[in-house]
Amino acid sequence: MRKEDLIPAEEICVRYKVGRQFVSSLYESGIIEIITIEETEYVHCDHLANFEKMMRLHHDLEINLEGLEAINHLLQQIKQLQKDNRRLKNRLGLYE
Amino acid sequence: MDFIDYYKLLELDKSASKEDIKKAYRRLARKYHPDLNPSDKEAQARFQQINEANEVLSDPEKRKKYDEYGKDWQHADQFEEARKQQAASGGYAGGFGGGGQSRSYSGNFDEDTFSDFFEQMFGGRARAGGSQRGAHFKGQDFNAELQLRLSQVYKDEKHTITVNGKNIRLSIPAGVENGQTIKIKGHGGPGVQGGPKGDLYITFNILNDTAFRREKENLYATEEISLSTAVLGGEIQVNTFNGKVKLKVKPGTQNDTKVKLKGKGFPKYKKENQFGDLYITYKVKIPEHLSEKQKELFQELKKTGI
Repeated sequence: MRKEDLIPAEEICVRYKVGRQFVSSLYESGIIEIITIEETEYVHCDHLANFEKMMRLHHDLEINLEGLEAINHLLQQIKQLQKDNRRLKNRLGLYE
Repeated sequence: MDFIDYYKLLELDKSASKEDIKKAYRRLARKYHPDLNPSDKEAQARFQQINEANEVLSDPEKRKKYDEYGKDWQHADQFEEARKQQAASGGYAGGFGGGGQSRSYSGNFDEDTFSDFFEQMFGGRARAGGSQRGAHFKGQDFNAELQLRLSQVYKDEKHTITVNGKNIRLSIPAGVENGQTIKIKGHGGPGVQGGPKGDLYITFNILNDTAFRREKENLYATEEISLSTAVLGGEIQVNTFNGKVKLKVKPGTQNDTKVKLKGKGFPKYKKENQFGDLYITYKVKIPEHLSEKQKELFQELKKTGI
């Protein structure tokens, strides 16, 4: 893992104007991963899009953390199903 | 430009209270929010309409103007004139850009998407001050699909695509797969309130224009061989992706025998000079129209027990 791909959690809080508690709660719910290096907490840049999505849902639709957790899980499932569907279509194409 | 019935959009009647509007908006926003409907353009369009309806109906001044002039929006200028006069006399200190009760969405979609009707009625992108929480948001991610032929992705391919009127020159590495999506950082929509630009996601739709079947980096083909070659062995020429090669067929080769041509498959994605394999399946052709002489010879063979 390259260090330049890690964004300090503190910076995220400042940039997105959210409380540290919100970031911690997302981590505790398993929605984002936090990596600790030398006592500094970081979020990998690949998780940023998901973090933003959860933040929008939380603020825009007033969805609580339990709701976010459920939504995140279902969105992951949709993504996996779409991926499987595409893969199967590709395989089917081989025999057409 | 058509009149847009904002009440109908929010499934409300004209007497709806502020609380009713808020509830209806929340209910529909939860249903059509772009984050909950990934890749669903219809839901996104619907969400934008709902957002616009809420922008108008949750702001008392905008709602007043809409109720008064909605269907007759061409005369809305008169309302503006009256408003200015009121403001000049100190009787009105509001204005349409003033905020109101609405919460503006500033998430993963283009902000510049209010209808012409809204523009005409309320003038420009008169959004109510943007997001109330003032967060910096990454711009909208764009999704595009690029159709290529299999023969095109055997080598690195340069391609120019147009996304939202902007030409983007792409270098597509050889071996890209059908359905594969690549991310091009910073080529999405502009960020909101100083946020970073969104990304561009390109999904490849690769049409097979060859006689090969492809599975990841391996290629598959069938090759017809004569009965005599199958029995006695011999040399045949087979097509590979980049030319013909000679292949030795072993004596006694059975139908559906598979042979592997190492390194004659498709390039491995982002692995320079590494290729998959080509699998050839032999199909032994049984002769159908034999001459008298051939029939005689087969009869002779039959007598030998073959």
